[in-house]
Amino acid sequence: MSESKLATLPAKSPDSNVFIFSSGKFGEFFKEIGEITRFAGNFFKSMVIPPYEFKELMKQCYLIGNKSLSLVAITGFIMGLVLTIQTRPTLARFGAESWIPGMIAVSIIREIGPVITALICAGKVGSGIGAELASMKVTEQIDAMEVSGTNPFKYIVVTRILATTMMIPVLVIFADFVALIGGYLGVNILGDVGFRFYFTQVFNQLDYSDLLPACGKTILFGFSIGLVSCYKGYNANKGTEGVGLSANAAVVLSSLCIFIIDAVAVQLTSILLPK
Amino acid sequence: MEKEQEQIQAVSDSKAAVFDPKEVIVDIQHLSKSFGDNHVLIDMNITVHKGENVVVLGKSGSGKSVLIKCLVRLLDSDEGTIKVLGNEITTLKNNELNVVRKNIGFLFQSAALYDSMTVNENLAFPLRDQKKTLEEIDTLIQEGLESVGLPDAGLLMPSELSGGMRKRIGLARTMILKPAIMLYDEPTTGLDPITSKEISKLILEVQTKQQTSSIIITHDIECARITANRIIVIKDGKAAAEGTYDELIKSEDKWIRSFFE
Ligand SMILES: Nc1ncnc2c1ncn2[C@@H]1O[C@H](COP(=O)(O)OP(=O)(O)O)[C@@H](O)[C@H]1O
Ligand SMILES: [Mg+2]
Repeated sequence: MSESKLATLPAKSPDSNVFIFSSGKFGEFFKEIGEITRFAGNFFKSMVIPPYEFKELMKQCYLIGNKSLSLVAITGFIMGLVLTIQTRPTLARFGAESWIPGMIAVSIIREIGPVITALICAGKVGSGIGAELASMKVTEQIDAMEVSGTNPFKYIVVTRILATTMMIPVLVIFADFVALIGGYLGVNILGDVGFRFYFTQVFNQLDYSDLLPACGKTILFGFSIGLVSCYKGYNANKGTEGVGLSANAAVVLSSLCIFIIDAVAVQLTSILLPK
Repeated sequence: MEKEQEQIQAVSDSKAAVFDPKEVIVDIQHLSKSFGDNHVLIDMNITVHKGENVVVLGKSGSGKSVLIKCLVRLLDSDEGTIKVLGNEITTLKNNELNVVRKNIGFLFQSAALYDSMTVNENLAFPLRDQKKTLEEIDTLIQEGLESVGLPDAGLLMPSELSGGMRKRIGLARTMILKPAIMLYDEPTTGLDPITSKEISKLILEVQTKQQTSSIIITHDIECARITANRIIVIKDGKAAAEGTYDELIKSEDKWIRSFFE
């Protein structure tokens, strides 16, 4: 929460810590959740009201995709390769080497691809957004925008949250694909598996109950990265120190969100779409 | 040097001739603003007439920036009325407020150039919703850059500019909509004396050429001397003294005179 907001709150009465939840770290935590929820509410409200900032949205999509593409490709590739090399001995012991492609496919598409890619993007994109918005706040660029008659929330925040919500899923699909290629190479280090055979095996193992939940949660990952990073940047404290703190908090909090969303999504999936 | 002084005097005089004491552009009455227990402004009164440069002097932390931020409602005031071009700022709806804001130029202390955009894009930003053709926008940008003496800076990024250049580009960006009112937040702070003087002269030029009414916040007495038609000194959240440069420099009050030493 920004210092300026704190300063406008009425002074705390001495007996306010009678309520355990309203004081100390715990209270701060809930207050922050409330603030982020309000921030999200503002996002949905501003998103539907014209004018729309299409040009800025496209620019942000391009920047986010372009900046993370190579990073995501490298991690995806290594992910697939390593996963294959690591699981081969175990499956080989049961004589189940032919299951390798299917196993890789399921674990990458369902879980590892989305989570690892989202975490990488939280580091790369989230810190970028956090630092950028915080420095815009600190150097009065956001104020300048507001005075010139442009709604800075719409121009800066809404476009970035939409851009991450749309681009993280695209990056995840790309990472999944590269990881499967990595897996193919991994299989072929010790064995000899045809490209066609490998991908037939891969797609045989996948069905909609793997793809849909994975898609759903990547969209949420993207949204949470954008939301949390923008929130942290937009509410930065005064001073250059605030920029570093915001970038840091953006990464930490969005990574945490990714794990929480993942845990909830896995539970929901197993309840709603039992195999 | 001497010639320069004469020039400044000449511009100064021509301005004084333009300013019209009958037409009130900005009228702030009984403005109060607190942050918690920190009472920054208490019963502040300021009027600015058409074409007039009003300089606001005060120690740092005396609420000068808060004052002009209330004027464009970047901060909500607690009490009092703020009339800008006849509109009561404190009660306007957001879309009406934005219309009034188009008539107000705000030069921030840090110039507040958009880091991710080139100088040209920075200047084009206020024109986004103006329904102008690309050629018109280009012409306006070039005029703007020339008026601040940086005709070739268009393709640079803000990070490539010096402090003085940033202020100039900031000024060009704020001036591009030819606002009726200009607010300058410490336009010369952090600049060397020569650059400060150039910026002060630019401020004067803006006033003369476009008949802009301005509030200039500063603690640079040289800037105040060059630009002011009238000076207001803030102390303890109130206007403690008001007058021309020549009047205030002879003030009985030691505290006020201390600004001019
Ligand atoms: N957004 C804010 N939240 C809380 N306090 C503020 C805020 N803005 C300014 N202040 C306080 O108001 C006082 C005046 O600040 P300011 O107007 O920036 O001073 P200056 O005259 O140097 O421009 C300072 O004590 C500052 O701490
Ligand atoms: Mg200030």
